Amino acid sequence: MKKRLKPISRRHFLTGTAAALATVSIVPRRLLGAPQIPPSEMIGAALIGVGGRGPGTFSELTKSFQGIGVGVTKLAECDVKWLDREDNQKTYTDFRRVLERKDIDAVAIATPPHWHALISIAAMAAGKDVLCEKPMTRFIAEGRAVAEASKRYNRVFQIGTFGRFGASRDPKNILTRKIMKSGLLKKCEAVVIKRANLKVKEWSGLVNAKPQPVPANLDWDMYCGPSPLKPYHPHRHGGTHRGYWDYEGGGLCDMGQHYLDPFTWTWGKDDTAPVEVEPHAPPAHPEACGMWGWVELKYADGFTLVFDSYEWGEPYERKNSRGISLNDLDEEGRKKIAETPDPDPLLSFAEAVKARKPAGGNAEAAYRTVTILHLANIAIRMGRKIRFDPVKEVIVGDEEANRLVNQPMRAPWHL
Amino acid sequence: MAATKPNVAALVEQMPETDRDIQAKADAAKQAAQPDAPKPKPDRWGAASKFTGPDPAVAEKIFTELFSGGRESVLELLALVREPSDADYKNYKAGYVLHGLVILAGRDGQEKNRHVLSDALASQLSNDKHSKAVKAVFIRELRTLGGKESVSALGKQLLDADLSSDATFALLTIRDGAAAQFRNAFAKSQGRIRVAMIHALGTLQDSDSVGAFKKALNEQDRDVRRTAAWALANLGEASAADALLKSADSTEGWERTEATRHCLLLAERLAASGKQSQANRIYGHLRDTRKDPSEHHIRETAEKALGIGRP
Repeated sequence: MKKRLKPISRRHFLTGTAAALATVSIVPRRLLGAPQIPPSEMIGAALIGVGGRGPGTFSELTKSFQGIGVGVTKLAECDVKWLDREDNQKTYTDFRRVLERKDIDAVAIATPPHWHALISIAAMAAGKDVLCEKPMTRFIAEGRAVAEASKRYNRVFQIGTFGRFGASRDPKNILTRKIMKSGLLKKCEAVVIKRANLKVKEWSGLVNAKPQPVPANLDWDMYCGPSPLKPYHPHRHGGTHRGYWDYEGGGLCDMGQHYLDPFTWTWGKDDTAPVEVEPHAPPAHPEACGMWGWVELKYADGFTLVFDSYEWGEPYERKNSRGISLNDLDEEGRKKIAETPDPDPLLSFAEAVKARKPAGGNAEAAYRTVTILHLANIAIRMGRKIRFDPVKEVIVGDEEANRLVNQPMRAPWHL
Repeated sequence: MAATKPNVAALVEQMPETDRDIQAKADAAKQAAQPDAPKPKPDRWGAASKFTGPDPAVAEKIFTELFSGGRESVLELLALVREPSDADYKNYKAGYVLHGLVILAGRDGQEKNRHVLSDALASQLSNDKHSKAVKAVFIRELRTLGGKESVSALGKQLLDADLSSDATFALLTIRDGAAAQFRNAFAKSQGRIRVAMIHALGTLQDSDSVGAFKKALNEQDRDVRRTAAWALANLGEASAADALLKSADSTEGWERTEATRHCLLLAERLAASGKQSQANRIYGHLRDTRKDPSEHHIRETAEKALGIGRP
């Protein structure tokens, strides 16, 4: 039977060892590669947002550290629906009180997405490493801010989707990535079509929802946070929040980061974004995410990605799926690919914390992935083709659409 | 010959029923055919329902027809809009059509319709026949469509506790001409609206508000003080450095983390505007004062900015 690990708070660890006095990082010394430190030590962690995916997200954090022989002690949990049970020792309703604790090294964030960026940035500013549930953000500019914070504070950010780790070990995907990243393709004719299972109807919002009294245990103002303070309705909270633009982006945002996590790695799209996005959808509702048929997204190199909901209208028929292979290159190109080393293995969250290097699902990569989803949703909401500049990170020639790229936040919240 | 005036109410009613309405009709028909069949379960969400919008080509035809009636038809539509909290609320359709018009008017070649619609929306913010909830809908549509011509009407809502937040969002989105509205409101504001006005002016990096922000650093309300500190940092106001550093040094817990963020933000803004030596003074202070292991990342960030730490 496995011996139960004795919890050691980070504060205790740092003050209780002579070695800690020389430590120049908030990361426990054992994670910095000191082999003499036994693996029975633990790091302190917290879960912010305990409903829905919360336990699963924290479990991913725990598993990641267990993978390198480090245990995790959950020192705090935080949720805005705990006004009736917060003790500000183990249970909280205000994430800031969690982040000020010096014994917490890492946080798992599983709030609704309108909080993801702000809490991630705040956590990194407080010196914590972050595992954040998908989708990474509610709008495009938030992702850039998270990526900048990760670099500024040298903190590890890992998005809560892990498909790219498997993809990055698949020889076929490795070859695809090498070809795409080589720049040897004169024009990329590849087409990837993601059909169905995007939960469009399931995660669409209600219209006609009459405001209801706020439950006594729920801090509704804090729940709304940076988003507009709308009248309470239970459907806006507790999982079904996904159906409202104020908090998420429907089934596309809920499921899309899962599907695209391996995609962006395989197809070498971790550092760019589509330049042209065309939707087929009924007019969008201003509050509630609704139905759509398909969205076609084109990259500057000619690569095409399509979401086909299979839940509304005629299916997408403009193009067929098409991969790439060495046959798309000339002889010299094939030779160069053969000589190109495979990409480095991706680091898990815990490995990245240990090495103080970016995780496989780091903030920049997660940002580029979620940007695809946001661009698709902006096109759906605008009901027209939009053009995006992946360098300036703005929508070109469409003022109304561009207003959704970097949305204001409700005071006092800001990026 | 004058064009036929569109029947706005009839156009609105062409929008699809909600899922619940469709289901209710199907249930009623089934009940009529089979009176002994078990009654359907009540809708979990009451009157609320999901819906499936119309074909975009069909919708565009309806919206275009409505626009053909000009301002008069637009005002007729606005008079039909209700929110679920209104006592005489019927359905989502008028608000949905309004949003459809707003999106259509944003397209190239729709400048005339855009002007008619934004002007009509702004004009109705002073019409007290509309409930506050409906006015909030109009403001949110101006957030999408409005321009400089809308800011005056929006600015008048900033001191209204029910509309201030939506008006702030709209003005922050429009930006052009918004700062003057926030400055006017700030002078008369209190409490949360005062915080929101500082926050808005800070977001807009309004250099005309530096003096007001500095005064606000000494106000009693903690949220006013911390928002003013952030606003000064976001503006890259070099003269605020000492105040911000003092605040960061003298606080504990989350407040210290937040105040330190303000210092780093100010330093980044100063460096970006070529004031490297003033930025370095902030970085140097943080490097020299953040000795606790829990603040090592701050010291490291400062060292990196000073070019002496990690790459």
